Amino acid sequence: MNSTNQKVSRKRRISPSEILFKVIMYGILVAIAVCFLIPFMFLFLGSFKGESELFRVPFKWLPDRFSFDNYVKMFQTIPFFTYLRNTLIIVGFNIAGSLISCSLAAYGFARLHWTGRDKVFMIVIVTMILPYQVTLVPLFLLFNKLGWIGTFLPLIVPCFFGNPFFIFLLRQFFVGVPDEITYAARVDGASEFRIYLSILMPMAKPALATVAIFAFIRSWNDFIGPLVFLSGDELYTLSLAASMLKSPLNPNWALLLTLGSLMVLPVLILFFILQKYFIQGIAMSGVKG
Amino acid sequence: MKKRKMNLKRTEFKHAMLFISPWIFGVIVFTLYPILSSLYYSFCEYKVVQDPIFVGLQNYKDLFADKTFLKALYNTGYMILIGVPITTFTAIWVSILLNNKKLKYTGVFRIMFFIPTLIPTVVACLLWVWMLQPDSGIINRLLGAFGISGPGWISSVTWSKPAFILIMIWTCGNAIIIYLAGLQDISDSLYEAAALDGAGFFRQTISITIPLLKSTILYNVVTLIIGVFQWFAEPYIITSGGPDNSTMFYALYLYQNAFQFFKMGYASAMAWVLLIIAMAIILVLFKVFKFNEVDS
Amino acid sequence: MNRRKVISFGMAAVMTAGMLAGCGGTGTTATSSASGSTSSASKAGSYENAKVEINGMVAEDTDLTGEFTYWSAFTGDSQTWDQSRVDLFNELYADKGIKCNVQFVPDGAGVNNGKLLSAIAGGTGPDVFISDNPTSVYTYATNGSLEDLSEPLDKVGINLDDFFPGCKDVIYYKDTPYLIPQDANVIMLYYNPDIATEVGLDPDTPPTTLEELDQWADAMTKVDADGNYERFGLIPWLDSGNDAFVVPYIMGCDPYDAAANKLDLTSDTMVNYLEWVQSYAQKYNPEKIQSFTSGLGGMFSPDHAFMRGKVGMTITGNWFSNALKIYAPDVNYKVCAVPVPEGGRANSTTFGVNVFGIPTGAKNAELATLFIKFCLSSQVNDDNFKQWRSIPTSDAAFDDVSLTKEGDEMYALEREIANSPENGIPALCSVSAELSTSFQAFRESVIYSNADIKAGLQELQDKFQKQLDAEN
Repeated sequence: MNSTNQKVSRKRRISPSEILFKVIMYGILVAIAVCFLIPFMFLFLGSFKGESELFRVPFKWLPDRFSFDNYVKMFQTIPFFTYLRNTLIIVGFNIAGSLISCSLAAYGFARLHWTGRDKVFMIVIVTMILPYQVTLVPLFLLFNKLGWIGTFLPLIVPCFFGNPFFIFLLRQFFVGVPDEITYAARVDGASEFRIYLSILMPMAKPALATVAIFAFIRSWNDFIGPLVFLSGDELYTLSLAASMLKSPLNPNWALLLTLGSLMVLPVLILFFILQKYFIQGIAMSGVKG
Repeated sequence: MKKRKMNLKRTEFKHAMLFISPWIFGVIVFTLYPILSSLYYSFCEYKVVQDPIFVGLQNYKDLFADKTFLKALYNTGYMILIGVPITTFTAIWVSILLNNKKLKYTGVFRIMFFIPTLIPTVVACLLWVWMLQPDSGIINRLLGAFGISGPGWISSVTWSKPAFILIMIWTCGNAIIIYLAGLQDISDSLYEAAALDGAGFFRQTISITIPLLKSTILYNVVTLIIGVFQWFAEPYIITSGGPDNSTMFYALYLYQNAFQFFKMGYASAMAWVLLIIAMAIILVLFKVFKFNEVDS
Repeated sequence: MNRRKVISFGMAAVMTAGMLAGCGGTGTTATSSASGSTSSASKAGSYENAKVEINGMVAEDTDLTGEFTYWSAFTGDSQTWDQSRVDLFNELYADKGIKCNVQFVPDGAGVNNGKLLSAIAGGTGPDVFISDNPTSVYTYATNGSLEDLSEPLDKVGINLDDFFPGCKDVIYYKDTPYLIPQDANVIMLYYNPDIATEVGLDPDTPPTTLEELDQWADAMTKVDADGNYERFGLIPWLDSGNDAFVVPYIMGCDPYDAAANKLDLTSDTMVNYLEWVQSYAQKYNPEKIQSFTSGLGGMFSPDHAFMRGKVGMTITGNWFSNALKIYAPDVNYKVCAVPVPEGGRANSTTFGVNVFGIPTGAKNAELATLFIKFCLSSQVNDDNFKQWRSIPTSDAAFDDVSLTKEGDEMYALEREIANSPENGIPALCSVSAELSTSFQAFRESVIYSNADIKAGLQELQDKFQKQLDAEN
């Protein structure tokens, strides 16, 4: 993939005409995008195929007929909407919690000048590194003492107290905002919280949207957290359900592909609606121009 | 800024503490407490169900005599030295293409690159197993169309790690999103000025885009490296570390020790070694990227 | 290796029939609808008997009452089967106020991912769990995470002497019973009679010794004009997966002596086994074999080399029959006992088991044991057996299984093999999970990297013997 990139860009320098440039750029994009999409096509089209059709030799992309049997069977097999509801509750709180707590902390690390700040920020970085495997048992015992096991709380409460990845991300954005912008407000006597809320936050919409999306994906796909902290079918999430459809000897391909499609499609639609807003829409127009 | 008065600094400190107080609480309860527990466990033999027994530095000594551990370290290093640069290169390139104002429909492409991160890990892993099949897999059939006889990928000792690099690239949608957001920050006027000076697209990229993208690149590289150190679900589901431990990565081995071999103390020692190695790498990166420069 | 059971259609139907007839509790049930669930009307009789007995089990006299939690490792279709079993239990015991609350916990009932461990440490473990990973669960028994079952077993009347002697390796740790196998599986040689006939071998006299097996393998192997392999007779590690000591044990190894707490990984039989594996790896070039061995989704996809006709024989468990039935119904197969070298365990097997255990601190160990007893019965397992060809854990229980009554040939062979006094479950000890993983990794390095067998085994021996000595 990369070698094509280079080759093509060298070619482009040789003949820098606008049209050729575009053709090549689209060519590269389409080529890479197709590579990225193949698994997804298999996933989506596969959800309409029977188990035997999936493995037919030679392989055929399109199903013989678009059968919704897998979908019907999946809704019979798992309480999809209960799992969806549970997932959405966890996801919703995760997004809200991350946005509030991480933007506050990031403001403290990026916009305020205080002694020892960068050293304290190193702690943020350090906490990113520790693998969850070693914190899992102490955390479980802690949550257990609090009586939180078997509730959504272990999956919700911590995100209201900051996530190092998101703090780091938002800090990088806040740091980039020139001091002059907030300086004027400060001279006018605006409080730090006011500056945070009415100047920085609106300007950081792309970054915040990014955090929201990451918080979404993180909790949407989280498997080990729900597995360890939740108990009982009625609390399970969709990603947990995905791992339960598969048994070691029988991957249950057709149903897995179906659930996978159902987990991807709504998000995809949502993403389609939001993406314009969250990357393209705000070119930080007021800031840099 | 350095000429600010002391009392102003003190108020700022007070404000800062207010702003970061939720994080401080969180870090003490949900992070510091488990980290310190694990530091203590790393000096113990700890089977979770029994009380920890203090064994001093034994776990650390054992670690560096443990061939599987060294192999896991090597495999993880391989991914960081080879996989991370390739992934970063791809992600930056794709983002720059997607950010090009002259191209239309970039929104659709963005979504395509982002789709892989939306697929549940279990399902994504099965898809990769399917695609990487030596005979029937789509990748080798594509290669076959170009006359290349594809390798055995995940069932080959030599090709299993490159297979995981493919997966790493495939899931770089997160990084692309962040690069794109970072690219938004770069003013068009810079490019226009450069264009007037006769700089072509390639030159503009090298001399404007990349330098101004520095803090974004830093963030992505750091999270990618941390991601590699914590990489668990994919190798666990796809290969369980095989064949011949060629995909035994750090977090997978740590997990095995913690939850399958009942060696929580040993796993904690691994976590601390990881912490120190990762810290060292990240500090070097910060130096290289002159992390604090933006502030002054 | 993991063994999972898929849906038992029959049982679910019987239950539904029972409920429709309004006969919950202990009553006898309508027969007509039950017979509909079996494949032919002539079998309805035996089926009906089995069912009445299921209901008869309610009569289990007990003063116990209350609820208990059960963590099931079963996922996918097997989950449906287990749910139906729990529903039946609850129906039978409803009037005694006994209720089983089942939770399906992926990854071997939380055994493989720290959930069960954390829960036991936090005192929130279940009253009983079932796991498909005896190697790992056994280490739970050795480190005090499980309850001693002697008393509760006595109370509900489960006699451990009824179990096949080979199951005792997993039941006892230091003479105390901790784990109860629900069912067992038998390892056999699967071979394709059509390929055998094609190359002039007699499918009715399968190989019994290692030399004969090698001869068969050679005869079945087919190379095309360019020197590429079109078909292999046997790839010894094809289905070995995460079975570490299964084939070595059948070939005569005794990797661990529980009484002396001594490992013996460097024995001649072990070296011979690995040399045998290595000889195949060298002969065939593992780089070329790869495309044959990495079946999509293990054996549960039509990509398996045996189903594709790319390999003539493979050593695996009885569950493979079900995979063949689902994914390759047209492929002919026959089974025989695993051929062994001189000094090997002829006509024998290791038992692959799903085991019940009761975590330390369980509130209702006795009720849990009552449930275990219910789950052990042939009737409850009948569909399980029928579909997977897995077997009961005692010889007597064979008589109640439909497959036996139908005179199924393969099942008779399984019973014969199951009765071999040489059967066992090898290398269960306080470090068995890590030992098994390390041994598999070493086997792979023998295959792919041509590792030095004796030196590698000695290294493993030293490392794990040291750990075992430290435990005591």
